[in-house]
Amino acid sequence: MNTKTPAFILFGLLALRILASAAPAYDFFVCANINRNYVIGSKIVTTNGVFQRDASGEWQHLGYNDTGISALAFDPRDRNVIYTTGLNGLWRSLDGGKLWRMCNDWTMTEARDVAVDPHDPDHVYLALPDGVAFSSDRAQTLVRRENGLPTRGKYTQVLQIDRTRAGRVLAGCELGVYLTEDAALHWHQVLPTKEMVFDIQQSPHDPLVWLAVTQSSGAWLSLDGGQTWKKFAAVPTTYPLYNITFDVTNPQRLAIGSWGLGVLTSEDGGQTWIDRNAGLPAPHRVWRVGVDPVGQLYASVVAETLYVSSDFGRTWKTDSLAGSVVNKFLIQPKSAH
Amino acid sequence: MKRAFIFVLIFSFSTLFATAQPAFEGPPPSTVPVLDPAKRRAEYLARVNEVINWAADGGQAKTDDPAKLDLAMIAAKIVRKEDLHGCSQRVINLMSDPGTGPFWMFPTVCIAYLGRDHLTPEALASIRTAWRTTRQLRGDTENHWAMYYISLYLMAELYPNEPAESWYSGKSSSENLAEARSYLIHWMDLATSVGQGEFNPTHYIGEYVIPLQFLANWAKDPVIKKRGAMMLDWLFAELAANTLNGVLRGPNARTDEGSAIERWQAMASYFSWLLFGNTPPTAGYGGWGLYFAPLAANYEVPEVIYRIATDRGGDYLQRDRARVRRFWRYSDELSPPVYKTNYLRRDYAVGSTRGGLMDAIQAHVWDVTWAEADPRGKHNTMFSLHPFSSMWAMESMFVTYPEPMIKGVTFEGKPSYDSPDKIMGSSPYERVCQDLDTVIALYDIPADTRFPHINGFFSKDLINLSEDPSGWIFAQGGQTFLAYRPLAPYQWEKYLHHSSGWAKVRRDLGGRLLVSPHLKNGTIVQAASASEFKNFGAFKAAINALPLTFRLEPTPSVQFTSLRGKKLAFTFDQVPTVDGRAIDYAKWKLFEGPYLNSELNSRKLTITHGKLERVLDFNTLTVTDRVK
Repeated sequence: MNTKTPAFILFGLLALRILASAAPAYDFFVCANINRNYVIGSKIVTTNGVFQRDASGEWQHLGYNDTGISALAFDPRDRNVIYTTGLNGLWRSLDGGKLWRMCNDWTMTEARDVAVDPHDPDHVYLALPDGVAFSSDRAQTLVRRENGLPTRGKYTQVLQIDRTRAGRVLAGCELGVYLTEDAALHWHQVLPTKEMVFDIQQSPHDPLVWLAVTQSSGAWLSLDGGQTWKKFAAVPTTYPLYNITFDVTNPQRLAIGSWGLGVLTSEDGGQTWIDRNAGLPAPHRVWRVGVDPVGQLYASVVAETLYVSSDFGRTWKTDSLAGSVVNKFLIQPKSAH
Repeated sequence: MKRAFIFVLIFSFSTLFATAQPAFEGPPPSTVPVLDPAKRRAEYLARVNEVINWAADGGQAKTDDPAKLDLAMIAAKIVRKEDLHGCSQRVINLMSDPGTGPFWMFPTVCIAYLGRDHLTPEALASIRTAWRTTRQLRGDTENHWAMYYISLYLMAELYPNEPAESWYSGKSSSENLAEARSYLIHWMDLATSVGQGEFNPTHYIGEYVIPLQFLANWAKDPVIKKRGAMMLDWLFAELAANTLNGVLRGPNARTDEGSAIERWQAMASYFSWLLFGNTPPTAGYGGWGLYFAPLAANYEVPEVIYRIATDRGGDYLQRDRARVRRFWRYSDELSPPVYKTNYLRRDYAVGSTRGGLMDAIQAHVWDVTWAEADPRGKHNTMFSLHPFSSMWAMESMFVTYPEPMIKGVTFEGKPSYDSPDKIMGSSPYERVCQDLDTVIALYDIPADTRFPHINGFFSKDLINLSEDPSGWIFAQGGQTFLAYRPLAPYQWEKYLHHSSGWAKVRRDLGGRLLVSPHLKNGTIVQAASASEFKNFGAFKAAINALPLTFRLEPTPSVQFTSLRGKKLAFTFDQVPTVDGRAIDYAKWKLFEGPYLNSELNSRKLTITHGKLERVLDFNTLTVTDRVK
């Protein structure tokens, strides 16, 4: 028997889905250093490290007070499992940030980024100034996996895991973007660059869409999961591009943070880019940009503070995380835990 | 990042106005070697006691009020077994607000061990608690890691079998111990195979030998204990062989402006004073040097090392290998080799590397330095350099974005880095050739370089300076005649000294800079003892008679017959020749000279003076002494 669902029920279900999707499905974190002028050995006089934006818009400190956290990641199964990178390498907490373990030994240092494979959350990838390390046991042990990376030129700044396939990772290195499809056992170059690749991002809307920004080779778009890349012609190459971000609320919105260019935004998927520095202090030196789960754009301005815009860069105001330099914005699907 | 050097400087400068320091304030000590071992030992212990007494009586704080003690003063008081209750209370107080890295770690290790039988259990527990609660940063330099891992090793041995959650690292005692042990063995094997990255350290010597001394005294593992003791001898042998009257000579991987122009103004001088007694200590006994004193009575510098420092038979040439700081990016090699030359005579020393980029910020590539009866306040040096400042160089060596680095470096304790008139740092556009007391430095500087000129340093302490029509500049420093030949036109500018540290004010100390704004450029310096000539005029005539031809285009190139009769030919970026034979750098040993000898990758150093010989063999962990 062919049964038909009444139209009003279908519309009702759709409305429910729209409402559900409109609600933020993400949490928002930053790695921020507020303690200016810290040098090795001095006392830390402010609270630094990982902060989470709560429902009221306030930043809640999470974990250890560390001035040099460069990146963080969570185990998707358990939000209490936290990874951070910094001067010593990789730190991991299994209890929500109370106790931490320095996962690497002296053979690894000054880690730049960490990523956890959502399909195999015991698998952790670590970006290092001299390559890539991999763990199959939640970073209890780490091994080098650099086959296919150049002997020299494998400084790795960023790692992004393809959320659609286990073991598929893109690495931003000194001489380009490298791809592995077998959990870092083999790497191959998919985008050569003259100098550093500073950031790689996968679209939260379409997993085949990837972005990359570089030190001197501009900004790049991939529509095939990072296999091939096309340059954004409208993005200047005159200044280094430190990072790039999607907006989870709008697939057409992109933003770039740059030393020299400040904030650039696109609201047409990257076809055109607009300078959004009006209201930000000059010179336009932006360390990082980020977009929170409700579409607010953030800009961490070098030697200044964190700014926030509710109209995607048209106007700005200072954020409550005063005096901060943000090393990483992380937007994470909400955890059940 | 690489910023901890500032703490050495802060500590040093903070001690400048301390209470009486007899050896620092008194006349310079005799440079005559003390051959009677008992007398030598007694004098050494007297110096050790001078340091301990100064620190225990107030040191830089000028007070022995327990509430104002720092850890160095507490260490000295423990040695004197005085005011131990007050020391305990102060330790508890200090540990309530711990520091965050190797410069905090090794002093607390010092107190933890020294205080074992003297401080209250509560005080000792407070140290242990701080090592649980406060994350310790490992730093990013060779000296950071030496301090960090020696400290971690000793604390893990002091508190064995404790669980991971009781340490800041989240690793158990045995894990911490294994990691620290592994690194220390690796570092020692590397340093004894291909040399240190931070070679010839002016200040950083303390950051190595102080924790090494802890290791030699307190390590339970006999292998590590032995390695610590041997490494201590190794580094002090290097110090001895590179000093003239106790003052460190030759190029440095990392130094500062103060030490570059006033060669005595370095923590190395404190150790020369303490061990060899042949130069005054710096103010405050080197600052960190206070932490060497509590255990110094347990150490006796081997006679062969003492004699190298104090009893020279004549001129000698020391040629060594070292390595460059790590290039993370934009280099074909992680740590390219350094070829280091040091030629020492009674009146002066001439030292150099081959030039090129070493440490981007703090290297000192070459100079002629002369002996002074009292080196305090004397700017006893002559050199030139290209003032290189580069985001690219910063990016290649540090894990950060290049754009903010230059401002960051200048803001964080190296204010001269981005100054056109700086007198410190290496450059990829400088090449150096040295034969005995002759140096040829050539420059081929791209036009788009940030500072497209070279600086030559001319000290306030030079006398009889004259600009000869021949093109040579003649001067005298101490008992050393100096000839400096700029290869391109120049002008004179006042030298304004960066006082290092956080100092923003620059001071006119009386020196001048020879500034030559020509991209193709060069400097030739020839030194000689005044005693070699009837008078200064005879020296000038001899120099003017030396055959010299050079060209600057298209590539700087010099042919020069030195005062020693050697025909030197040197073209930028080519291997220099001496009497027609190319210098074969590939054959350079780790150490080669009359006093120190070691084959590359041998991990074995032979220290020789006259009939005395000591062999440090890190392969067998043996120390062999013999009288030949």
